[in-house]
Amino acid sequence: MNTNNTKTTTIVYDDDSVRKFMIASIFWGLVGMGAGVLIATQLNYWQMNGKFLEWITFGWLKSEGVEFLTFGRLRPLHTNAAIFAFVGNMMFAGIYYSTQRLCRARMASDLLTKINLWGWQFIIVCAAITLPAGYTRGKEYAELIWPINILVAVIWLVFAANFFWTLAKRNEKSLYVGLWFYIATIVTITMLYVVNHLSIPTSFTHSYPIFGGVQDALVQWWYGHNAVAFFLTTPMLGIMYYFVPKAANRPVYSYRLSIIHFWSLVFIYIWAGPHHLLNTALPEWLQSLGMIFSLMLWAPSWAGMLNGLLTLRGAWDKLLTDPIIKFFAAAVTFYGMATFEGPLLSIKAVNALSHYTDWTVGHVHAGTLGWNGFLAAGMFYWLAPRLWNTKLYSTTLANAHFWLGMVGILLYVASMWVSGITQGLMLNATTEGGTVLQYPNFLDTLQAIRPVMLFRAIGGGLYLIGFFMLAYNIWKTARSGQAVNGTVEVATQTESDTDKRFSTFLSAPVIYSGLIIFSVCLSIFSNGALFIFGMFLTIVFIIVAIAHFEVSKASWNDWFEELLSHSFGFSVLTIIAAAIGGAIQIIPTVTVQRADNIEGRIQVPYTPLELAGRDIYVSEGCYNCHSQMIRTLVPDVMRYGNSGQGGGYSHLGESIYDFPYQWGSKRTGPDLAREGSHRSDDWHYWHMLNPRDISPGSNMPNYPWLFEKPIKVSQLPNKIHAMRMLGVPYPIDLSEEEIQAQVDEQAAGIVERLAEKGAFTEPDREIVALIAYLQKLGTYTETGDSAE
Amino acid sequence: MSTDDHKDSHLVKQEDLPEGVILRDHVVDGIQEYDQRLPFWWLCILFGVIAFSIVYWLVLDDRSFNGSAHQELEAQLQAVAAKRLANSIDVTNDDLFFEMAGTAQFVSAGENTFMTNCVACHGKELQGGIGFNLVDEEWVHGSKPSEIYNTIAHGVPEKGMQAWESQLGQKRIAEVVAFVLSKNPGLKP
Repeated sequence: MNTNNTKTTTIVYDDDSVRKFMIASIFWGLVGMGAGVLIATQLNYWQMNGKFLEWITFGWLKSEGVEFLTFGRLRPLHTNAAIFAFVGNMMFAGIYYSTQRLCRARMASDLLTKINLWGWQFIIVCAAITLPAGYTRGKEYAELIWPINILVAVIWLVFAANFFWTLAKRNEKSLYVGLWFYIATIVTITMLYVVNHLSIPTSFTHSYPIFGGVQDALVQWWYGHNAVAFFLTTPMLGIMYYFVPKAANRPVYSYRLSIIHFWSLVFIYIWAGPHHLLNTALPEWLQSLGMIFSLMLWAPSWAGMLNGLLTLRGAWDKLLTDPIIKFFAAAVTFYGMATFEGPLLSIKAVNALSHYTDWTVGHVHAGTLGWNGFLAAGMFYWLAPRLWNTKLYSTTLANAHFWLGMVGILLYVASMWVSGITQGLMLNATTEGGTVLQYPNFLDTLQAIRPVMLFRAIGGGLYLIGFFMLAYNIWKTARSGQAVNGTVEVATQTESDTDKRFSTFLSAPVIYSGLIIFSVCLSIFSNGALFIFGMFLTIVFIIVAIAHFEVSKASWNDWFEELLSHSFGFSVLTIIAAAIGGAIQIIPTVTVQRADNIEGRIQVPYTPLELAGRDIYVSEGCYNCHSQMIRTLVPDVMRYGNSGQGGGYSHLGESIYDFPYQWGSKRTGPDLAREGSHRSDDWHYWHMLNPRDISPGSNMPNYPWLFEKPIKVSQLPNKIHAMRMLGVPYPIDLSEEEIQAQVDEQAAGIVERLAEKGAFTEPDREIVALIAYLQKLGTYTETGDSAE
Repeated sequence: MSTDDHKDSHLVKQEDLPEGVILRDHVVDGIQEYDQRLPFWWLCILFGVIAFSIVYWLVLDDRSFNGSAHQELEAQLQAVAAKRLANSIDVTNDDLFFEMAGTAQFVSAGENTFMTNCVACHGKELQGGIGFNLVDEEWVHGSKPSEIYNTIAHGVPEKGMQAWESQLGQKRIAEVVAFVLSKNPGLKP
């Protein structure tokens, strides 16, 4: 092709949206981190749940606690703001900036870009209002209520359309590795988000997820873990692959490492979700898959770290002077640290100690503060002078930000290690020859970690101050320059993207991958001869594939080069690679682990009043601090397994009618799986009014508003109808009047028992429903054995 | 005004590179890529972990699909129960409790346990609250030491008294009984 005489046109990039996304990210980042620091202090000082308003207004605002400020409601706000608002906007900024340049094309549609930008901010505002108000779906990182879910899905698809349209219009034949990661992010997040948000609405602000109990647990962590993978990791890697070589002015270390890194990460990450459910009632085969796939993630993750760090090789001298390189080097190092710690925590024996403790919290923050936060900071410092055509306002301030943030992260992570391991060891410690718990009172373990938790709040505070310095620095930079949009000259001829679309799928590497995955599945799901046959096939296919690869390396290489010029084929293969793990784990669980299939213990469905109480429990975010899962570990059974009814560890049938499941992920307070009929109604009454009256030293907030707000009985018929659709055996002809009568009768009984002990309340108050729910926890019937 | 002029001057050239280092000829927005060999130690981690995972999966005897059989845990719990049984105290022996109540060591140990676990409902002075008064000579669930022991160990769920046996163990409960007896001089053998 003769290109000498082709005319060129000038393309102006849409950098205006990049600037706006960046400013939004910094703003929401400060909000999200501020919320994080506030809730961190609440763990040490319960007064930070609202009582502090009384002090700072010198008694003008009387408050025993503000419902909008409790840990249970603000923690979801913190996580959603940090993930979707801070990192989300930063990701859009990075993707919009780099995709245009890697495609040498302006974003395909300015309108879609605008909808993406302002729609996303609107979603964040909605979230910031609904979450503190107690409107939640009760699933971690998926708390937003269903109307907002639909909005998120729409805006995400707008972003996807804009992105893929831009790819289609690109003036660069081959897809650069950064774009691979963006593609993986977009297709996988779409899949995860949709499946985990499938719900049956009962009102405009409330819905039940269609999965319950063990199924919901599995789907939730398939989503939850991969929100980390495909929202906090893959887009960041794409950004790393663009901005690190740019900032260092060095070539990327290894292209073949990129290929292995990308495909192994996309394929393996999806399987690792069950490592959040180790030693629980989740079936063993899933736990084992979750553990080994987490271990297998170690090398692919480190490949990303290597490609980042080794790209900086030759630019190390800049580390002393250039804050951007400092931030990038530290971010990639924290990525390496977190992805080593992750597999470690996924080992069942380690997890027995670490799970439900601060260790997990520390692990997450090594990733978010270290990897995401520092990568964002490096990117912003690199972008700002270019977007406003000026110099960075103050390199000294940026360096100060780096060191302050670094000290903050290290304080945070180290104190969480100490706190998590201390509490884990104390909770699991036994005495008298291993026959009784050494610290039977949960509060003893809380007192032990209070001083270390304070250091976490200090570390987080330092990190927040660092980000204020960034905000100031970027603001001054913007003020000193003038907004400019990047341009590029491109030849006007375009190349066709349509050839050989389908030959992609009939190539040797794809066929071998398919055959190997099929034969591995054969041995996962079968026993005896078929199991051995599956193993045999796997080995044969692997050997043949390796042999074939050795013989025809060049043609495989050509195939991949060819694939890189077909964004459609590449995206389809990415979807397939990312979908396999989830499909293999979720489809059998959803079809087999149903209430009518389960033998042994089956949960007794909630009465209408208990259901109302459960929705209050979910809405207050109690699951943020209390688990409902007695793990298959001796200390767990000793501490929580006691009950009038059989007891022991939690069986999966015991929560099969829980929509959403409430197994929890952190025990700031004790497990509540068997809380029912453990204590008297008035114990709960006084405890909710002021936990410290009953449990000296507790850090739980006071819940005075539960004693004032009425139960929303009018919603119950809809809720029970939805429950029945989901398979909970409520009588089919339950009328509204009957529901009301049942509620009244049960509430009157509770109020009467409370009054006998001098605890007075009205039967229509939320506290009554909540007590009814708490007293029901752990109630089940036996099937199977008794039916014989 | 263009902010994206990347001069070609910073680009690395293949002929300047040492032998064996491959530089891909494709440049995107000024970004180049080497095609370095995969580090050997990294390949060791990759294949080592995959090999370990396969072995772990194959030798793992429990790959069960139903999620309710936990023989290993049941065995551990049985061992704990057996050990408890072997070290058990004769909790029906009232005289034993009175003897313990006369021994300062047991009483103060019992007081410690009481003050962390029981005080919330029964009060610092044992005057009661959510739970019964323990010094008013009225014993709804029996006043014999063995009956008091039984009440603490197995609880009275319908009255809101929880069962403490699995959490505290026999010895600590017996010490609490001794402490309660020491506060109730009226209770005599």
